Formats: sequence, structure tokens, C-alpha cells
Amino acid sequence: MSAKKSTEDDGQMTKDFLFKNKKGLHMRPAAEFVKVASRFKCNIFVEKDGEKVNGKSIMGVVMLAAGEGSKLKVSAEGHDAAQAMEELDNLFASNRIFNED
Amino acid sequence: MQRDIVTVERFYTEQAAALELKLAAGANGLKRIIREPTVNRPGLVLTGFTRYFANKRVQTIGNAEAYYLKSLTPEDREKRYNTLFSYKIPCIVFSRNLTPDRQFLKAAEAVNVPIFQCPLITMKFINLATLSLEMMFAPHGTEMGSMVDILGVGVIIRGESGIGKSESVLALIERGYSLVADDITKVTLVDGREVMGTSAELTRNHMEVRGIGIVNVAAMFGVKSIRREKQVDLVVSLKSWNDVPDVDRVGMDEEFVQILGVDIPHITIPVRPGRDLARLIEVAAFQTKLKASGYNPAKELNDRLIAKMANASKL
Repeated sequence: MSAKKSTEDDGQMTKDFLFKNKKGLHMRPAAEFVKVASRFKCNIFVEKDGEKVNGKSIMGVVMLAAGEGSKLKVSAEGHDAAQAMEELDNLFASNRIFNED
Repeated sequence: MQRDIVTVERFYTEQAAALELKLAAGANGLKRIIREPTVNRPGLVLTGFTRYFANKRVQTIGNAEAYYLKSLTPEDREKRYNTLFSYKIPCIVFSRNLTPDRQFLKAAEAVNVPIFQCPLITMKFINLATLSLEMMFAPHGTEMGSMVDILGVGVIIRGESGIGKSESVLALIERGYSLVADDITKVTLVDGREVMGTSAELTRNHMEVRGIGIVNVAAMFGVKSIRREKQVDLVVSLKSWNDVPDVDRVGMDEEFVQILGVDIPHITIPVRPGRDLARLIEVAAFQTKLKASGYNPAKELNDRLIAKMANASKL
């Protein structure tokens, strides 16, 4: 996974991810993402091609229909945003379901 | 998991009415143990073939055996009786109300083998006796949790005390579903593959509701609100919200719990004030019914999603 840009401003973080899973962001990786995101208090959003959804909503994340190679912009707002972003970063980098062929 | 020892006495007291059994001799042998849950016709051993004899089963003598025995001379008959009773036999049932002769009764009394008479035809007796013996031999146990029949889906509801089990059960009964057991469900393994749930005889139709006390569900909500026994199809665990940080959000994978060695679908519902637990349990039961018919909505949606993404990447 390649993270392109990272900014931090008063508990506000944004990061771009390139999604590599062959099948795309289907139900299982979406569930993993939402599961991790839901552990944090901060608001988390996922954006693809200008469409922005709640990162704690399965239906929202799935609706993006992010296929292999999609660019996703993840943003987090709140006091634990940095921590959340780190965890989500790990997910993109090393989670088994996220990186299956 | 428990298995009971089935004595002739238990077979007799529990089935006397259903099988119309009448004790004719051998009352001293009622403590004998039935070791196999089925019935045998001892025709072959009566003809003198003794290399194989399923003597641990309930023996039944029907017309075939009776006519054969009648054809023998009294001396031969006595010899055959002695051969028969040289084995450890739990008991012998004469079907069709056939009357054992005096020699037979004497031989039975001598070794304390109970002899019964039954008015049913032999086939009917064998069928009914086998079924009831199966049930008596079936492994059984108790499960902590209440059980409700939700439109044909038997649901055991588990959870720590005070989490809202009884309230959920009450709400489900009010919606028109039926109570099987409150707080403790007795389970029996049927045919080695199905788990039947029921309540203890004593507390049947009753439940305890905190703040109100003992409620007779049948008296309060009518007979449709109770069900004597029901196959267990689903186990729902109610857990405090904070105890389940990673609850399943999609439901694509099925989770099971084992009851008496059988895998039963299991879901966990996180509890929080304001959640309508009864409604959630009801929907879980419907979902189980749908999945049992081969339809998994999460999987179907996922297949559609993957297909859509695959098409998009081709463009």
C-alpha cells in the first residue's frame, strides 16, 4: 500500500491509500475496516472519486464499490484521530484480507 | 452430556400406558437393565440356533414364535425355554395378548425375567417400543438459557442474569410466539443429529419476571403462548455492549456452538439501553430461517458488489 500524503492539524488527519485487493473492497475487507474504525471515538470518513461515506458504516464503505487499484482518501477527525489513522494504515499495509490476491 | 440407565422398571412405568403393558410374571426382575435401545424377536434361539442372539434387547414373542412353540412336544419346549432363559435377558413381551404357557412362566420366574403382555400386534409394538427406547437412551443435558419458538425457529436465549433475557422472552410472547422454557432448557439428542429443547416438567409454562414474580404464561397469554418441545435451531447470546468490541457486522460467516455434540448456529447481540432486544431476536430467527433455505443476504450482496467492481475495472 502506498500512502501519499499525510497531514495533521488539530486532531484532523487525511491520508490517501491505493487499494490493491484483487476482488476490490468487498464485504470482508469492508467489515475489517469498519471494525477497526468503530473502535475509535473520532469521526472517520472514506472518500472515493468525490463520494464521501462514514467509515464506521458497512453499507457506506461497500457502496463505494472500490475495485482493485482504487484511490481512497481516509480522513479522521477527533482526539484519537492519529491513533485511528495508524491502525487503519496497518490494515492497508499488512492485513491478510486487505492484501489477498 | 448424560445418558441414563434404562431398567425394565422404568420402561414399564413410563411406557405401560402407551404400550398397554401388563406384567404377567417375574416382578422380582424389574431392576434388570435394558442395554440396547431396540427390540428383538427370539425366533432363532427358540429353534435352537444359539451362535448369535441379541439377548441385551427387549425380546418380543409374536404369532410366529407362539405357533412354532405350540408345534413342539412339551419336553422339547422345556429344553428351548431353558436355552432361552440361560441368557441374560432384560424382559420378554408377548404381543397380541398371547398368553405364555405355564412352563414358560415357571422358567421365567425361576430366573426372575419379567414377562409382559401387550394387546398390540407385533409390528406395532416393535415400532412404538423402539421409538420410546430411543428417547430413553438419548443423551441429554441442560442448557442455561430460555427457549422460545419463533415461527418454527427454536431459539435458545442466553445471557448473564439481569441482562434482559426474561424481558425479551416476555416481549416475544406478547408478539405471539411461544415459550418453550424459562431460564433453563432441557435438551435431548434425537437420532444423534437433532437437539430437542423442553422445560422441566415442574416449571413448565411458568416464568419468573423480576419485580413481578412467577407468571403462568399459559394462563396469562393463552395456550398459543406455550410449546412443550421444539428443535433447537439457533442460540442467541445477549452480551453487554462493552464486552463485544468486535461484533460481526456482516453475518457472512456462520458461527456455531455445540449442544450435545451438534453444531447449532450462534449469534451474539450486544445489549445497550434502548435496543429492542425482542425485535432483534425475532429478526435473527427469521434470518436463520432464510439461511436454512439456502439464502444468505450478505453473501448475495457481496457477490453483486464483487461483480460490479470486476466490471468497472474492465472498462
